[in-house]
Amino acid sequence: MRRYVARRIAALVATLVFVSALVFVVVRVLPGDPASIMLGTEGSPEALARLRDAMGLNRPLPVQYAEWMGGALRGDLGRSLQYDVPVGALIVSRLPVTLPLALLAALFMAAAALPLGVYAATHHRRAGDYAAMILSQVGISVPQFWSGLLLILFFSVHLGWVRSGGFEGWSSGVGPALRSLLLPAIALGLFQAAVLVRATRSAVLDVLREDYVRTARAKGLGEARVVGVHTFRNALIPVVTVAGIQLGQLMAGAIVLESVFALPGLGRLALGAISARDLPVVQGVALFVASSIVVINFAVDLAYGVLDPRIRYE
Amino acid sequence: MNRRIVVAMLCAVLLLAGAGGETPAQSPGRLIVQSQTEPPGLDMTATPATATSGIVFYNVQESLVKVDRHGKLVPSLAERWHTADNRNYTFFLKKGVRFHNGREMKAADVKYCFERALNPETKHPYAKDYEAIGDIIVKDDYTVTFALKTVNANFLQNVARAGASIYPRETVDTMKSHPVGTGPFRFEEWVRGDRVVLVKNGDYHVKGLPKLERVTFRFVTDPNAVLAALKAGDVDASLFGLGPEHVQDLQKDARFQVITGDTTNDVILAMNNSRKPYGDVRVRRAMTYGVNKADVLKGAMFGMGKILGTNVDPLNPYYVDLSKAMPYDPARAKKLLAEAGYPNGFDSVLKVSPQYDYTVRSGQVVADSLKKIGVNVKIEQIEWGQWIARVFREADYDLTIIGHAEAWDIKNYANAKYYYRYDSAKFQDLFNKSEVTVDDKARREIYVDMQKLLVEDAPVVWLFMHPRLAVTKKGLQGLWKDLPASANDLSEVSWAPAK
Repeated sequence: MRRYVARRIAALVATLVFVSALVFVVVRVLPGDPASIMLGTEGSPEALARLRDAMGLNRPLPVQYAEWMGGALRGDLGRSLQYDVPVGALIVSRLPVTLPLALLAALFMAAAALPLGVYAATHHRRAGDYAAMILSQVGISVPQFWSGLLLILFFSVHLGWVRSGGFEGWSSGVGPALRSLLLPAIALGLFQAAVLVRATRSAVLDVLREDYVRTARAKGLGEARVVGVHTFRNALIPVVTVAGIQLGQLMAGAIVLESVFALPGLGRLALGAISARDLPVVQGVALFVASSIVVINFAVDLAYGVLDPRIRYE
Repeated sequence: MNRRIVVAMLCAVLLLAGAGGETPAQSPGRLIVQSQTEPPGLDMTATPATATSGIVFYNVQESLVKVDRHGKLVPSLAERWHTADNRNYTFFLKKGVRFHNGREMKAADVKYCFERALNPETKHPYAKDYEAIGDIIVKDDYTVTFALKTVNANFLQNVARAGASIYPRETVDTMKSHPVGTGPFRFEEWVRGDRVVLVKNGDYHVKGLPKLERVTFRFVTDPNAVLAALKAGDVDASLFGLGPEHVQDLQKDARFQVITGDTTNDVILAMNNSRKPYGDVRVRRAMTYGVNKADVLKGAMFGMGKILGTNVDPLNPYYVDLSKAMPYDPARAKKLLAEAGYPNGFDSVLKVSPQYDYTVRSGQVVADSLKKIGVNVKIEQIEWGQWIARVFREADYDLTIIGHAEAWDIKNYANAKYYYRYDSAKFQDLFNKSEVTVDDKARREIYVDMQKLLVEDAPVVWLFMHPRLAVTKKGLQGLWKDLPASANDLSEVSWAPAK
């Protein structure tokens, strides 16, 4: 077990170094430099040269990279060119929006997908199964920004139950803060649920064909117990794998939905930083997201052992 | 069991959603304004971003002189000014004006702010506007004289700009996140990514103003989200975020008022004068005759805005209506192209940035129009950062469409290195003359000559003036109709008393 964890940590470090180098190069080969964009159409060439110099953009790339990596290792991700505050602080300030949003969305995803997937599998090739699959197909096909807008139109414009967007902050109370996150979390979670429904359904179907399920039924156990105890847990391995991947995708979805719902989260920070070529922020966010995904996958791997005691990490 | 979970989740959702109604945005004395982009910082001496001046200028910080809602120069922090020779300007400051930190504003502050702008170390974005200043002499606490090195006809205009706002020197280091000034509103907080909040300055130097207690600028980028926020009552006003394509149904909605007016934003089809075939004035004229501007306005702007014929915008005192000087005339355009050696037309690439959607829509109508004279335009959409780098900085383009929002920007045509690459000694001479001519009548004549010369040389095709389009809830009053300055003056804005 210990060796396994050590190997995974080494892989994590390698992934992060690779991601950081990739992001570093990619944001720099894009045409359009941050100083130019900051000055817009009004700055003179002299002002541009001065600003480039002040931002340290005139130094050789390897020097810039080494400096940035050195700082990152010490926990310093640099300063935002746009906001002039430390990138680390900027990322941390956006987490109270994005983390609860992702968690809520994951909750909706699990709450919608697991029951529906199990239902579809236990009603295989019956009306309920087809209905669930059609629903899931719709969920996969509808773009998230559109479902987000529909939710806004219905729940805030038409019914007036929740705010159409924006985030008051947790200081104004848990209730109002959760209410701001509710619609985007539903839009985000339901979309991801559509994929998970299919994974759950096929995993449960596979397990239902196992001998021990037949044995359980032969023993005279009720269907609820057969599905709930003997089938469900054993079907979880592929479900957890897919769910883990989707947790990572929630981040990508958050970029779009945070714009639609005007939420000051990590996704919107990244989007704004890319168009303003706020390089330290883009790099910092990419590094943060990459680490989160690697950590989630690591947790998923560890969960296998808990779910299925036959799996050993040696 | 599964059903129970689903029911429990649904109940939780409904409870959360239904618990307590939201307070409506509209309440007396408070205003929530949608702002399209979050400013990169709130220091107007560090960034030329209109997102910054749109919040800070006139509301938090002010200049000696102000451009009012009619485009006229009026006293602001200076109650009057005087010049006998157009070289020495003396400003008499209003007495008893206090910064938001409680200290009185004095002539030494004015001197400090201008000297700081001129110091290359501070990287002031508009330092060039003030380089004519030779000396700043503080006569007493309320009198300051600017001695200019040369006559500068735009001096008062430049003193009225955002870059010339007056702030206390002790707050310079924190201005980027906490601007302090003399304006009608005090800065209260900036929640990064969400909003900037301003509150009433009870000590404002204009009696009776401001009328609002609290103004919140909320950052909502997506136009559809803006529409939803307006309709849901989460914001009271959108001053910039919506285009003509969005306001159609709001105009029919009794809950809202749509304010349309003039701006200094002229939208042009720029041609790279240093590239073939646009180096030939006949081709440039053909392009002007070949673009059906009425169609562009109808197709891209739903008929909102005004057709332009030359650079100067309708809010400028020297504006002459030359929109009909070169009317749509495809036959004449074809003839000119044949004369220039392109009887069968040519191919060209139009680079536009979807960040400004109207440029893409205008491009489609322009391309369709030009096809009829044999010019095949391929539209290439590029990201804004690339547009700035490739088109604006390096002039790596054939054609592009963009709006130039700056007032008094005719100077760009006198700059041969500007991305139009228009290099006319005659125009440059005229412009230089206009800069040192202070007599209004003589200066107007030069401006008329410049506008006419531009029509003749056709360095770009002037398409239309982008209209001001603001949408607010009914009952909001006091907003500017036209936008002669790049600012949102909210000092006189208030809610009409409920009937």
